[in-house]
Amino acid sequence: MSTQATASRQSGSREPGHPRLRKKRPGRFAPYIFISPFYILFVLFLLIPIIVGFYLSLTDWAGFGSPQYIGLANFRKLFSDAQFFQSLRNTLVYVLVSMLVVVPLALLLAQALNARGLKLRDTFRLIYFTPIVLSPIIIALIFQLLYDKNFGIFNAILRAVFGYDGIDWLGSEIWAKVSVSILIVWRWTGYMTIFFLAALQGVSRNLYEAAEIDGAGPAQRFFHITLPSIRPVTAFVVVISLVGSAQIFEEPYLLTSGGPNFATLSVAQFVYRDAFQQQRIGYAAAAGVVLFVIVFIIGQVANRITGVTRSSV
Amino acid sequence: MTLAQTQATDSPQTATTPRRRRRPLTVGRTLLYVFLVIAAAVVLLPMLWALSTSFKKRGDMFTYPPKLLPHPFTLENYQHLLQQQPFFRWFGNTVLVATISTVVVVLVCSLAGFGFAKYRFAGKNALFSFMFGSLAIPYAVVVLPLFVVLIKVGLTYPYFALIVPWVAPAFGIFMMRQYIEQSIPNELLEAGRVDGCSEFRIFIRLVLPLLRPALGALGVWSFLNTYNNFLWPLIVVSDPKYYTLPLGLATIYAAQGRQIDLVIPGAVLAAIPSLIVFILLRKQLLEGLTAGSVQN
Repeated sequence: MSTQATASRQSGSREPGHPRLRKKRPGRFAPYIFISPFYILFVLFLLIPIIVGFYLSLTDWAGFGSPQYIGLANFRKLFSDAQFFQSLRNTLVYVLVSMLVVVPLALLLAQALNARGLKLRDTFRLIYFTPIVLSPIIIALIFQLLYDKNFGIFNAILRAVFGYDGIDWLGSEIWAKVSVSILIVWRWTGYMTIFFLAALQGVSRNLYEAAEIDGAGPAQRFFHITLPSIRPVTAFVVVISLVGSAQIFEEPYLLTSGGPNFATLSVAQFVYRDAFQQQRIGYAAAAGVVLFVIVFIIGQVANRITGVTRSSV
Repeated sequence: MTLAQTQATDSPQTATTPRRRRRPLTVGRTLLYVFLVIAAAVVLLPMLWALSTSFKKRGDMFTYPPKLLPHPFTLENYQHLLQQQPFFRWFGNTVLVATISTVVVVLVCSLAGFGFAKYRFAGKNALFSFMFGSLAIPYAVVVLPLFVVLIKVGLTYPYFALIVPWVAPAFGIFMMRQYIEQSIPNELLEAGRVDGCSEFRIFIRLVLPLLRPALGALGVWSFLNTYNNFLWPLIVVSDPKYYTLPLGLATIYAAQGRQIDLVIPGAVLAAIPSLIVFILLRKQLLEGLTAGSVQN
């Protein structure tokens, strides 16, 4: 609806008075001046670093002296590096948690919030959104209190209710992954919910009423009306969750430092650690390039499937 | 904006129907509220738990069974934190960096958004796609080479390095363009031109005042992003004098044998500005964020 409106408004702006404007006005350079601060910063602080990153990935460099060109050796080494594969697998877990838990849960919450005549809707929405406005370090510290093996509240509950001696939340390889995943769900679900809720609120009530009159049950209404109507927003949420979780760093870094035994190490932390803690800058840059390619491919595939940006560009 | 419209058009219909459906749904309604309240508790309880813990005596933080409320109640942990660590210095750094970044982000993005929304020029589509594509570049990949570049050209002065590279987020431009396309009538610009205003003057005097809701949304988004950022300060700042709050907290926590009694009050204090900004500007933020995605 609004896309049409803007389109017609835009085309309206092009015709009247345009030939006159183009000849006389010094203002025809104005748009370039308006967008130039962005593009200057973009080139200096994004484009050049990316090119430098690709170059560094082909070198051996410890941060002093000058980088030694070694061709694709870093990449060959990466693909036989068990720890790198471990970080890829861990990152895949985080991506799957985002896709299979965060996104559906956010949709469920949004669906609940969209119930007709719901009281306190804005309050609930506000509460669910809160985790994302807190710094990840704050969240990691809060969760340390919950996960602590001896004095954490989770184990205290397990002990009190089940008499079970408790789980080593951050110390066992499997539970550490679970702990990071819980934190991801806690931090991101409410954020995704607001997008779904906004989309659901845009679906006309008439559609549902018509379907109800036709005898469609809640499930049928959900799959035949809700899902198709909110498809663009679903696509948007899926893409930002995919791309966001593929480059996750703070949650595992702050909660478990990637341990125990690298069980929660993400690819982004692999890059950070090799560059800044082990001074293998060329190698880290190569891992960065791999992450870049993965995220790029994921983004493209998701785009192709869902068409999220096509309508917006 | 659009949300408000849809809700407004919906409400007359809802007004006619509730009587018919409210009664049979009572059980469903109750379950619905139970679900929503549980979800809210899952979000809030960990935060409240941290708040409660921050007022406990150090010994009481590590007891079994845990005490739900701080008893005796103490401010010792806060006093220790503020005495032992340059907390206010870090706080000042963070607020300064976040504020300057926010002002510049808002200017750069609204200017570029205006350029894209209201002008036709050669290369516009290519430039826009280029900008839009950069949204998918992993932040974590850029920081390493960016740091190398800054070192090589000698621009690692903390305030410069913390602010300047991040004041042109593509997301902000996308958001501003969406908003300007929908809310600024072309007639307004034409009127300004007829009056002989320069294009820049039109932007400053006529357009900018109408962008207040979007500027608010982008402003909160940018402030929170910078205020909470962790990875970049971790990489670029080495002198504790210039630490930001998240970096400072992470450092205390990592360095001094996990001193929970110092970092939990730190986390509580650090959360206050985020929460205040968020609660004051919640409407702009939530609606500004969703407007861009929903309209497509």
